[in-house]
Amino acid sequence: MTLVLPPKPRTWPKTLLIAGALVAFTVLTCLPAIGGVELDFASIAKNWRHGASKLAQLAQPDFSFLPRTWVPMLETIQMAVVGAVVAAAVSVPLTLWASRPTNPNSVTRGIVRTIINVIRSVPDLVYATILVALTGVGALPGLITLFLFDLGVVVKLVSEAIDSDKHAYLEAGHAAGATQFQLNRALALPQSLPLFANQWLYALELNVRISAILGIVGAGGIGRLLNERFGFYAYDDVSVIILEILVVVILIEVASNLLRRRLA
Amino acid sequence: MSALPAPPSKTQATVWSVIAGLAILACLVFLDVDWAALLGLPKSSWEYGVLMFSDPTWSKLPRALFETWRSISMAWLGAIGCVVISIPLGMLAAHGVGPTWLRLALRGLFAVIRAVPEVIIALILLTVTGLTPFTGALALGIAGIGTQGKWVYETIESLNDDASEAVSAAGGGKAAVLRWALWPAALPTLMSFALYRFELNIRMSAVLGLVGAGGIGSMLSNYTNFREWGTVGMLLIVVIVATMLVDLVSGAIRRRIMEGSRARGLVRRR
Repeated sequence: MTLVLPPKPRTWPKTLLIAGALVAFTVLTCLPAIGGVELDFASIAKNWRHGASKLAQLAQPDFSFLPRTWVPMLETIQMAVVGAVVAAAVSVPLTLWASRPTNPNSVTRGIVRTIINVIRSVPDLVYATILVALTGVGALPGLITLFLFDLGVVVKLVSEAIDSDKHAYLEAGHAAGATQFQLNRALALPQSLPLFANQWLYALELNVRISAILGIVGAGGIGRLLNERFGFYAYDDVSVIILEILVVVILIEVASNLLRRRLA
Repeated sequence: MSALPAPPSKTQATVWSVIAGLAILACLVFLDVDWAALLGLPKSSWEYGVLMFSDPTWSKLPRALFETWRSISMAWLGAIGCVVISIPLGMLAAHGVGPTWLRLALRGLFAVIRAVPEVIIALILLTVTGLTPFTGALALGIAGIGTQGKWVYETIESLNDDASEAVSAAGGGKAAVLRWALWPAALPTLMSFALYRFELNIRMSAVLGLVGAGGIGSMLSNYTNFREWGTVGMLLIVVIVATMLVDLVSGAIRRRIMEGSRARGLVRRR
């Protein structure tokens, strides 16, 4: 008996097609005439010393600046916490509306999903810029920006996670004659609470990072100080702030990982 | 007679929730916010909404589309640069691939890059490549390495060991394990993350526009500063539509890639 190998699948035409499409798209993005990016590697070779000297200055943090960062950093953490908590509270009903098993009505589901998609597609700094114009410089525009951003992230990710899960327990509740509200209240919500908690903590982590940028447009927090020191070319202070953000982000990550393990 | 087990103590949980609640309350109370402005916000956002969207300045649309393509280009090239660098580095940072010292060094590098705001990276690069979209693409490429590298090593570490063991048992070295066990199993997930990086960059490129790297973000922040609300409204519509379109296409491709990989059963579901 001879062993007959199955013929090798012919994959190269497909691979070639995909590679060709990728190359074509990349070439289009490199055409300055239609708005693409002009790849100017020569300038790196010519000017890399400027960037290197900036990096060298950044590598010498001046820790005597640290006391001046406490108040803005505290404001950033406050903004991050309040934004995340308010978004968490609002995210629960919206998520349950945006997910198929918890809201069988396709019209309201579609409306909520569209709103969330629109909220998500506006970059955070754009919100901050416009809100600063509306309400004036301060923590409020930053707070609202973080709230909107967190809302988009949590509702989108959790509702998709609920969509992709199996829901035998919902069927059981349905068979027992529960209304949709009772199902959501007694079954879906407790069941998806770990999913929620995971994303809430993630939103809190992101908030600290984002508020470093929000200060640029005047939306309060440590970012305002960062931007100010950068404007004064005080790179030794800038690196202190960056290190402080790094420490705070890592602390929040560690704390939220501990919490996640307990909640799981 | 059977005694019921004592109900588990809730003291600890209660104490922690009270502490968390007090902390949140403290954050709220001591936050220096002009709450009166919040009350006026619905009215003022309605007024500005009317200014922006009642008569969007469509005459500037061609320019807006040009700048949109510039943003997409920055995001795409940045994503390519980021992915090309972070895949090899991230693989070396995975458990069981690179030596321990290299793994720790690379993970430290990723953490530092994640902590530096994109805008700072862009501002440093400005001194090298000037106020050009190229700077934006470079900044996106470098800033993304921190997160992308983390995703790469987490993906590699979440793979089943079976294929790696089979390659080792057949006499393959570390390089063979990488090429024939880890790479084919991780590829769909890595490609999906690469596209996701592109989506993230689209949002981030608007941020870089603020520091003058060009693209739709520059235009938007300029016209906001000019208080030309009709143009701002038009630009917002363009940004929202363009972002949703990119998300739609990229998301469809990602789903196609990932469902292929799930059918092969190589990636352990998390």
